[in-house]
Amino acid sequence: MRRILIVGAGQCGLQLGLGLLAAGYEVTIMSARTPEEIRAGWPTSTQAMFEQALNTERAQGLNLWDDPAPKINGMHIAVAMPPGTMAMSIIAHLNSPGQSTDQRVKFPAWLELFEERGGTVIYQGVTTGDLDGLTALLRYDLTIVAAGKGELTALFDRDVDRSPFTVPQRGLSVAYVHGLAPNPSYPERSGAFNGIPGLGEMFAIPGYTLSGECDILFFEAVPGSPADIWQKRLPPDEHLSLMVKQAREYAPWLGERCDNVELTDGKATLSGRYTPVVRRPVAQLPSGGLVLGAGDVVISNDPVTGQGANGAAKMAAAYLAAIVAHGDKPFDREWMERTFADFWETSGQWATMWTNGMLGEMPEHAARILMKATTHTPTADRFVNGFSDPSDFQHFFFTPEAADAYLASIEE
Amino acid sequence: MATHWKVRPYLLTGGRTHVRHRLLVHTLVSVPYYDAAFAGGLLPEARGLYEQARVTRSVAELSASCGVSLGVTRVILGDLAASDRVRIHPETYDSPYDRNLLERVRDGLLRLA
Amino acid sequence: MTACSGSPEGETVPTDGTVPTSAKIVVAGGFGVGKTTLVSAISEIPPINTEAWMTAASEPVDHLDPGIDKRTTTVAMDFGRRAIADDLVLYLFGTPGQARFWPMWDDLCRGAMGALVLVDTRRLDASFAAVNYFEQDSDVPFAVCVNLFHGRQTHHLDDVREALSLSPEVPLLAADVREPGAVARALVGVVEHTMSSTARQ
Repeated sequence: MRRILIVGAGQCGLQLGLGLLAAGYEVTIMSARTPEEIRAGWPTSTQAMFEQALNTERAQGLNLWDDPAPKINGMHIAVAMPPGTMAMSIIAHLNSPGQSTDQRVKFPAWLELFEERGGTVIYQGVTTGDLDGLTALLRYDLTIVAAGKGELTALFDRDVDRSPFTVPQRGLSVAYVHGLAPNPSYPERSGAFNGIPGLGEMFAIPGYTLSGECDILFFEAVPGSPADIWQKRLPPDEHLSLMVKQAREYAPWLGERCDNVELTDGKATLSGRYTPVVRRPVAQLPSGGLVLGAGDVVISNDPVTGQGANGAAKMAAAYLAAIVAHGDKPFDREWMERTFADFWETSGQWATMWTNGMLGEMPEHAARILMKATTHTPTADRFVNGFSDPSDFQHFFFTPEAADAYLASIEE
Repeated sequence: MATHWKVRPYLLTGGRTHVRHRLLVHTLVSVPYYDAAFAGGLLPEARGLYEQARVTRSVAELSASCGVSLGVTRVILGDLAASDRVRIHPETYDSPYDRNLLERVRDGLLRLA
Repeated sequence: MTACSGSPEGETVPTDGTVPTSAKIVVAGGFGVGKTTLVSAISEIPPINTEAWMTAASEPVDHLDPGIDKRTTTVAMDFGRRAIADDLVLYLFGTPGQARFWPMWDDLCRGAMGALVLVDTRRLDASFAAVNYFEQDSDVPFAVCVNLFHGRQTHHLDDVREALSLSPEVPLLAADVREPGAVARALVGVVEHTMSSTARQ
């Protein structure tokens, strides 16, 4: 039986570990936190997931929250320009609903499932020294690093050509709330995406947390702008009231929905910032061992497009298929490089290209597509379904040529 | 293809019994009966840990005294425990906040005060 | 990697069939506040200073940051041991003071009966991160202890409490951590705080 070690117990590590276990591999996961600690901790993400990524979970029978988690049927996209004034409004429908299950709910349950099914979990934050020793043991046929928070990411070289940024592009602020009023523009359960040029973005996303159905307020502030008040960690109540205040000022139609919001629990907020980066997928340890990077170790996009958890789930499915297809052959550097390259070509590059594009000034051709979407529902729907499959943007959104061709095609 | 860290892989039971060990840094470990022949078949890291655990001591002490990182120590001890070569001492108390345990530690400390 | 040398030493396993168990108290605080001195004062073995924990000493902006610079250094972490009874050993684990490195702190605190955050009144800020950790990111009951360097108390405890923004239920103690008796009394304070705070739950 082939032995696989996975360092990191997030979306990618756990989904891959459970998949390998089901395929008959002997799997060990190293997790920095226990299920109890994760449940009792702070949220780690907004983790909205869409059709393609959710389907990878469903294919493995890991979709344990399909019923309780509210459906994200579509999205209301608004542009506030100047701040406080709605200059553009788009109602867009998802072909299949998205869902956001709090990782404090999902990860502990998956960890326990993994242990129940015979997987081994070692609870420890793994250091470089550990990883070197673990690979030198030659106990495992393959070691995968899927722990994006922590020092292990430093083992993987930044891919300069695929990483245009050297500093964080947004300051992030998140609050899980009960009591958010429905969006009058899209009364069904739906996401809200408010762009405020120069200041950032404000989202409201239906979710499912420890205390049941909720909404997730998620703001992305342009660093150095007046909106960027998320430099340091604030007491949760103060954090939420500042978010509500910002919503009332910059996107009052969202602010009005916040009159009765309260935090879902005592640790329902999150703030921070990081530099988006793509890293090379293979790292060599001092003793010579090779490890394959996964999840946000190798692709860490800004959360503005919500592609973190989606990409991690898709990568877990891709790696699982590649490992199984490789049979008993050695997991050498060439296989590792090719496994990541295949994922990057078919999936990863499009999410990163889209996300990085959304962080900068909107090009004129992209503005024309969105303007069309305000009155043309198929264009609106096609745009928002890109959250599930960003590769579609190459056909109508990424380049002026593609946008022109698309707009011409719908005029016919 | 898989190279075992054991020189003699047969010494490790193939179908390992699954035990949920929570190997905390202060969890005590010991060797129930020392088997020199078994020790002789182990690779250096595992052998060192096995020999040091002849005296009951914590995971952290074993890691430090053998110069083996904590992660490697936990993996090896888990394997040795799965084949009953080392004993991972169970928590005698349900929780670190158990009244009786707290009282015993307090009383022990008061004798030093 | 080196194999161990020498033969094991230390106390032997009780032969009466009892299985020894262990308890743990964590000693936290900034770099240089006296954690190692405290552990030495009461440990029956020389404190074990291990470099088995290699880690990056960068200071993440917060708990969301997945990007860490490639500045890697060795974090010293030390611990000691004190037999409480034939079948019960108390371990004291000092947290690495250089940086807030949550995974390691979580590992050290897991299963602890309590924690003592040591502060130096001349450099209170060195222990802010430790206080924040126990207030926000850990459920382990904790007390704060002012290290009386050279046995003198130079600040009123009330002032220290205010400067650290300590909530009233957190005990604030003082001890010369070179003194075994004083350390034992401070640890009693931790244990008694755990008794009272967990009894309420």
